[in-house]
Amino acid sequence: MASATERGRRPGRLPVLAIVCAGLVAAGCSSSSSGGSSASSSSSPSGTAVKGTASVAYASSLTFLNEKVAAPAFTKATGYKYTGRGDSSGALEADIASKEITPNVFEAVGGDNITPLQPKFTKWYIPYAGTQMVVAYNPKSKYASDFKAYADGSKPLKGLFTLMETPGFKLGRTDPNIDPQGRDFIYMLELAQMYYHLPKDTVSKILGTTDTGTSNSSQIFAESSLDATLQSGQLDASSAFITQAVELHLPYIKLPAAINLGDASLASQYAKATVTIKPPGAPKTTKSGSPQVIDITIIGKPTPAGIAFVKYTLSPAGLAQYKQGGFTLITPTVTGDSSAVPSAVKSELGG
Amino acid sequence: MRSASGVASLAGAAVIWVALLGPVITLLAHLSWPQVSAALSVPGALDPLVVSVESGAITLGVLLVLGTPLAWTLARGSLPFPRFWEAGVLCSLLLPPLVIGLLLIFMVGPYTPIGELLGHVHLSATNTFLALVIAEVYESAPYYVLGAQAAFAAVEPAIEEQAALLGDRPSRVARRVTLPLAAPGLAMALAVAWARAMGAFGAVVIIAYHPFGIPLQIWTTLQETGLPTALPFALVLLVVALPLPLAAYIWSARARGRRRG
Repeated sequence: MASATERGRRPGRLPVLAIVCAGLVAAGCSSSSSGGSSASSSSSPSGTAVKGTASVAYASSLTFLNEKVAAPAFTKATGYKYTGRGDSSGALEADIASKEITPNVFEAVGGDNITPLQPKFTKWYIPYAGTQMVVAYNPKSKYASDFKAYADGSKPLKGLFTLMETPGFKLGRTDPNIDPQGRDFIYMLELAQMYYHLPKDTVSKILGTTDTGTSNSSQIFAESSLDATLQSGQLDASSAFITQAVELHLPYIKLPAAINLGDASLASQYAKATVTIKPPGAPKTTKSGSPQVIDITIIGKPTPAGIAFVKYTLSPAGLAQYKQGGFTLITPTVTGDSSAVPSAVKSELGG
Repeated sequence: MRSASGVASLAGAAVIWVALLGPVITLLAHLSWPQVSAALSVPGALDPLVVSVESGAITLGVLLVLGTPLAWTLARGSLPFPRFWEAGVLCSLLLPPLVIGLLLIFMVGPYTPIGELLGHVHLSATNTFLALVIAEVYESAPYYVLGAQAAFAAVEPAIEEQAALLGDRPSRVARRVTLPLAAPGLAMALAVAWARAMGAFGAVVIIAYHPFGIPLQIWTTLQETGLPTALPFALVLLVVALPLPLAAYIWSARARGRRRG
């Protein structure tokens, strides 16, 4: 009898302990899907002791480039350490404004994510690289042969937008209310509708709703899961910046400059596309398309490490990394109060 | 008068309790009623609350029906290689929720056999209410199963054997003896599972971005408008999610007290 009792009791200890331990594990892991942060360190390049860390907040489309390419090269070249935090530009802007984060440097997609921080946190920004929208696709999709034909130009690209209207076509995109890429994809569709003279309901048919700014759609994924869902073969196609597609080795269809938001000279054309969004807890806002330009600025009082990072990014070596990553280079020029730009940064602009 | 060791224990317990409560205290300290009122008075602001409560309730139903038999068989050691079965439950507990979400894409995505089967009946396990329930079940099931296993294991098999010797059929023994004796522990297990389901985020953000429950509402609000507008929803989550575990805890403690007394 005693042994039966013991047999009955023994398993109870393991589950209780497991629950306590696993609760701690879950607490640590369950909130890790948003954004990302990292730190790097290295010895001084020339043997001289250089102290300081460049804390960089950057648009998540720069994650690979910053973490794997620019940060190690920057540390090697300057001796300064680096910490990075990637998230959507809008989220980072909100975090900086609320002082939740205090980076030295902010790299945003679109200057409209920096201007709300002026003049309290910065008075200037410098555009230096551009990206563009593409349509990434699943090479095992039942539409793969069509996608390949659109990608290599053997089929007119206009047909891609008709294909995306097909009932049952599995399209993925991000939330236009919180992610610039989600809005950019809608701008691109609107521009394509105008450019290719497609029927007026093309965009709403592709998006599956007339309320283009809604986040209430089964097409919408968190930025962190969209690429994973496409890579796992569970979507036919998804929105992407060309840099993402290159980094993740996703096959993609390039789009003409008139609709891909990648040409700074077409800003007025892009502005014809609009989307009305309703972010949670905020009033409705209408936003319009703009060239997808990467801008850099220093937040707060410039630190030596922060200045060194901006200077390195705008140097020929830094810009070459962007070119290699699929970005188009823009001649860096100051937007805003140029007298507030540190002289070391100005020297990279030739001024 | 308390002994020195008693005072030290009390102080130690108080320090840990306050430390555990730190985030909640911080939350309350950083919220003002006008802030809460403004955030919650936006039209549709409380829709995610309804989604969370509904999905949480269905999750508990699924756990009760599917998790209880597994917990009972684990507790009674009636399965071959019991450590193997337990390790299976622990594996799902130890995987980060985010990874569970990523793996669920491969399991139930629209082009998987399960996804295609669901498609035939016009259902989808991606970005739907069903996907939300699935994610919550995966995030909370191990907590319930292991908690319920402990509850069943605490029931003396001798009592069940005596009931059986008196002529009760197994189903009657389970209904009249096992379940009532295990009920306080089961209630606690269910309460923990409820808390996990209501706070589920890692797997949810991957396969169930839509419809928003409260955790996603907090995250998206934080992304777009920042901390001040996001925090009131954390308070809503606490206010809504806390009563059930609290009630279960009180009832469980009383039931145990009555048994001892």
